[in-house]
Amino acid sequence: MTENIVVSGMGTISGIGNNVEETLDSLLNMRCAIKGLKHINSIHELLCAEVQYPDSKMKEVLGMSQDEVVTRTTLMGIHAVKEAMENANLTTKSGLRIALLNGTTVGGMEKSELYYFDFLENDKYNHFIEAHDCGACSEKIADFFDCFSYVGTTSTACSSAANAIMLGADLIRNGVVDIAIAGGSECITKFHLNGFNSLMILDKDICRPFDNTRAGLNLGEGAAYLVLESEKLAKQRKIKPLCLLSGYANACDAYHQTASSPEGDGAVLAMKNALTNSNLKPDDIDYINAHGTGTVNNDESEGAAIMKVFNDNIPYVSSTKSITGHTTSASGSIESVISILAMKNSFVPGNFNFKTKIDKLSFVPVQTPLLNIELKNILSNSFGFGGNNSSLIFSKLDKND
Amino acid sequence: MIKNPIYINGIGVISIQEPLSDDGLLNPINYNKPYVRCLDPKFKDYINPMVARRMSPIVKRAIVTAKYAVKQSGIDNPDAIITGTGLGCVQDTEKFLDAMIRNEEKFMQPAFFIQSTHNTISSQIAINLGCKAYNNTFIHRGVSFENALFDALLQMNKPQFSSALVTGSDEMTPSYFKLLKRLNYWKDEVPDTLNIVHGKESIGSFATEGSVSFMLAKSKTSNSYAKIVDVDLKYMNNPDSLDYIVRFLKQNELEINDVDVLLTGMNGDVENDNVYKTLFSTFGEDKIGIYRNVCGEFYTSSAYGLYAAATCINMSIVPKYLKYNFVEKKDPKIILIYNHFKSKDYSLILLKKC
Repeated sequence: MTENIVVSGMGTISGIGNNVEETLDSLLNMRCAIKGLKHINSIHELLCAEVQYPDSKMKEVLGMSQDEVVTRTTLMGIHAVKEAMENANLTTKSGLRIALLNGTTVGGMEKSELYYFDFLENDKYNHFIEAHDCGACSEKIADFFDCFSYVGTTSTACSSAANAIMLGADLIRNGVVDIAIAGGSECITKFHLNGFNSLMILDKDICRPFDNTRAGLNLGEGAAYLVLESEKLAKQRKIKPLCLLSGYANACDAYHQTASSPEGDGAVLAMKNALTNSNLKPDDIDYINAHGTGTVNNDESEGAAIMKVFNDNIPYVSSTKSITGHTTSASGSIESVISILAMKNSFVPGNFNFKTKIDKLSFVPVQTPLLNIELKNILSNSFGFGGNNSSLIFSKLDKND
Repeated sequence: MIKNPIYINGIGVISIQEPLSDDGLLNPINYNKPYVRCLDPKFKDYINPMVARRMSPIVKRAIVTAKYAVKQSGIDNPDAIITGTGLGCVQDTEKFLDAMIRNEEKFMQPAFFIQSTHNTISSQIAINLGCKAYNNTFIHRGVSFENALFDALLQMNKPQFSSALVTGSDEMTPSYFKLLKRLNYWKDEVPDTLNIVHGKESIGSFATEGSVSFMLAKSKTSNSYAKIVDVDLKYMNNPDSLDYIVRFLKQNELEINDVDVLLTGMNGDVENDNVYKTLFSTFGEDKIGIYRNVCGEFYTSSAYGLYAAATCINMSIVPKYLKYNFVEKKDPKIILIYNHFKSKDYSLILLKKC
């Protein structure tokens, strides 16, 4: 049960990069991907962080026919899973029991919102009806590789990918699979763009997480997956793991469907339980990659929760959503990749666009990347609508580097 | 996979049969159409009407079945709240989508968006029970419920988890019925739903909806229905069913003959049912159980299957309509629930008398 789970590979695509290497470069150079919308037509002139590749380019890169019936969320998912598998030196012919655990909420909505009235009135786009639900999205990703013995889909809004990662570790520890590829994928849709807009939580300008003048989030899109396995298997496969997934926890705020409690009760529980799970003390955490959406409600509530858990000794904190936008269901895994990159390259990512401290908080985020800082333990927060709060902790392996 | 025996200590069920009652198993209502919606209880008996006013039926149903299961079990606060749903909150999703397209993104109100995410169900159960514990939602086609159940068992393998509230819930709106009809999910006509698996061989089943909640615990009580011995969930491409089942039983030191009833997911769709029919000769027709003739087809129907199996064990009888041959069976002790979705997603749940 207490078998060490390591991250042996990762892959990602988001506004700040089409792969892990480009992502690192953007983080170090504070390249912000939040711009005008390109891939969807909306009457709202809102800033978003889109994946640069159009669908056609992703299909081309993946060697897929341009006629293939596939949604953008699925394409981004395949793209990132492929990189993660290559990074972990894992082929589709390994003979190992591998799980694909995918977090998503919009599923195939990006096509459904285009063809919904056709769905109701004619047979023209029937193939996209079957692609609508989240499970279909995960299976389409799995079928591209044809090597998965377990496929599962978590959907807890903006913590979906974090919950997929936890499930992966639990499946390995219980001997259900040998390896889990876990994360999430989500493209921007008009549906949730309008949803967030109607809730008045989208900033018209570039978001300012943890800033006193913050006025909302910017949507982003992307996908990321971690390859998880036991330390023992990684050794057998002669893979040098990236780090340990040393702890994780999920708790519920049980407060409101879309707002966080003022004291961040659920967030406190998630962080505390993750610390207990990893056998670490608050002082051991060197950096928190915050959920930090930039909404008035989240940052204050998360900030209060961080103060409660870490008291006077608050580690470095930053929200990388200031450059990636809020990638919703995929944010938990994209930010896991960012956290691991920070650990491997010894730097603290910056929180773009910060100027003024939030009155009620005792800390300010790291603004520009801090280089040459050893990060032994990193906490990554993902909080979703409905108070679905999850925290992951990544730790350096003892003899690592 | 399970480290400690897990008991089912409470169940709440809303379906096309009498709500919050076992009547549906003993004297099921027979329908004559391919689309049947839930028979709902009086929601105001369970949820504050001011709060319920904003909730879509799927959320209300799930809260009611969850509360019912919790009450029956005698556990106040579960250590986990986990929901499986194939489509989530379709009604509110459609309302927001329809308004967005019709009004070209103008004048959008957030109410329907807020309750459109799939995790609204688990989250509203948590808010209603005031429960800050582990909370998760799974959406995976016809094995969404098994995804949730499997997660509950993974959590309960940890010492700090002694109970879990697991719900399978789906709603079928008229629009979504229409969409899936285009994909041949439903028959044109169903004269006799209870007999659907015996009708003329054709594609499609009959569309329904439902919510079933289970309170699972590590400790047995006088209310325990049955014991969950093992669960398996796999993604496979059209495997040999018998081989899959034999291997699963062997892991549990059982043989085919030890199983009193093989409860199948037969639903009248010829392609779906053929997977189960390959097992008839090995098990013998008298051991073949059915339940989708009673509850209909929704993405989380298998939750109704678990409810039916646990209740049969608890009542010491498999009523006639739950048997393929319509001959009731006395004193079932071991029931194996076998489910597949489109010959890709497979699950097995092994239940024993406790």
